[in-house]
Amino acid sequence: MADETGGAPERRMPLFRRQAIEGAPGTLRLEELAFAAKFILRLDPQAGGEAFGAATGLDLPPAPLMSVVNGERAVLWLGPDEFLVLAPEGEAAGLADAVASGLKDVHHQFTEVSDYYTCIAVEGPKARKALMKLTTLDLHPRAFSVGTVAGSNFAQAQGWLWLEHEAEGAARFRLYVRWSMAEYLWGTLAEAGREWGLPEQEPVTGEPMLTESVTSRKA
Amino acid sequence: MFVITCPYCGERDLSEFAYGGEAHIARPEWREDMSDAEWAEFLFMRTNPKGILAERWMHAAGCRRFFNMLRNTATDDILAVYRIGETPPKVEARLPATPSGEAPIGSGNDAVKIIQPGEGA
Repeated sequence: MADETGGAPERRMPLFRRQAIEGAPGTLRLEELAFAAKFILRLDPQAGGEAFGAATGLDLPPAPLMSVVNGERAVLWLGPDEFLVLAPEGEAAGLADAVASGLKDVHHQFTEVSDYYTCIAVEGPKARKALMKLTTLDLHPRAFSVGTVAGSNFAQAQGWLWLEHEAEGAARFRLYVRWSMAEYLWGTLAEAGREWGLPEQEPVTGEPMLTESVTSRKA
Repeated sequence: MFVITCPYCGERDLSEFAYGGEAHIARPEWREDMSDAEWAEFLFMRTNPKGILAERWMHAAGCRRFFNMLRNTATDDILAVYRIGETPPKVEARLPATPSGEAPIGSGNDAVKIIQPGEGA
């Protein structure tokens, strides 16, 4: 099939067949935030935190389970020397170059994982309640405040939960999960939200592993 | 199910953790004349006490870091949690008495220094 991309497979995210879904007004909303740039940074914060900040404008989180936001970029704590760096789509290459030159004298690793993880946004006043059904994390506002990041199991899938924003009782969570688990977690979250009117999500059968343009070329 | 305190992330459910076997077993330095028995000793032999055991755990679903724990294998009491590279702290153990008058449950391991309640450090 001839197209503008010369037959190259179209880039897409694991939940490309899913539209954002919403429950009753003022309850819960699910949406995939596709294509954002994501990096895993391995770095000793003592050794390279300042250099990283100078290169990217992002300070590393000062304590475990914390995040730092600067504009549209953010750093999430994943471990004592491991961080998830987030940036808008299109900034990946620039960010990678900036880190490579800014940290060239410091032992580090900066790996793009934009297409390894995807992000499901879970928003609304019932977001905490819905996520509580899937995880053993303490999601009470007393224990899980704005900016908190925690890795845990959500139903059967490992993921990273970040409370990005909360206003007037409406929380905006971002759930970072591996590509292969995204479809499963989407269905499970929709199931958890059914009491607030989220529509049931039929499982999609027959994973199309190849895009149309590739299969037609083979034939 | 019980709650484990990760030294980095704090209190989390057991289901987030992976077990890493007994802690503080040093890999022997390689020698040409090392016998199979010596190697097997390192590889297979564990103390397996009914009592307090220093063991490794990993916070598999969270920060993915290994850490050490002192746990009473008879009662599942977690007595201490400490990071890799740190020495095991001295702990005060609560060893339940056995009805038959044998040694209290969990008293079988002398690899870890146990301070009986009231004994003082």
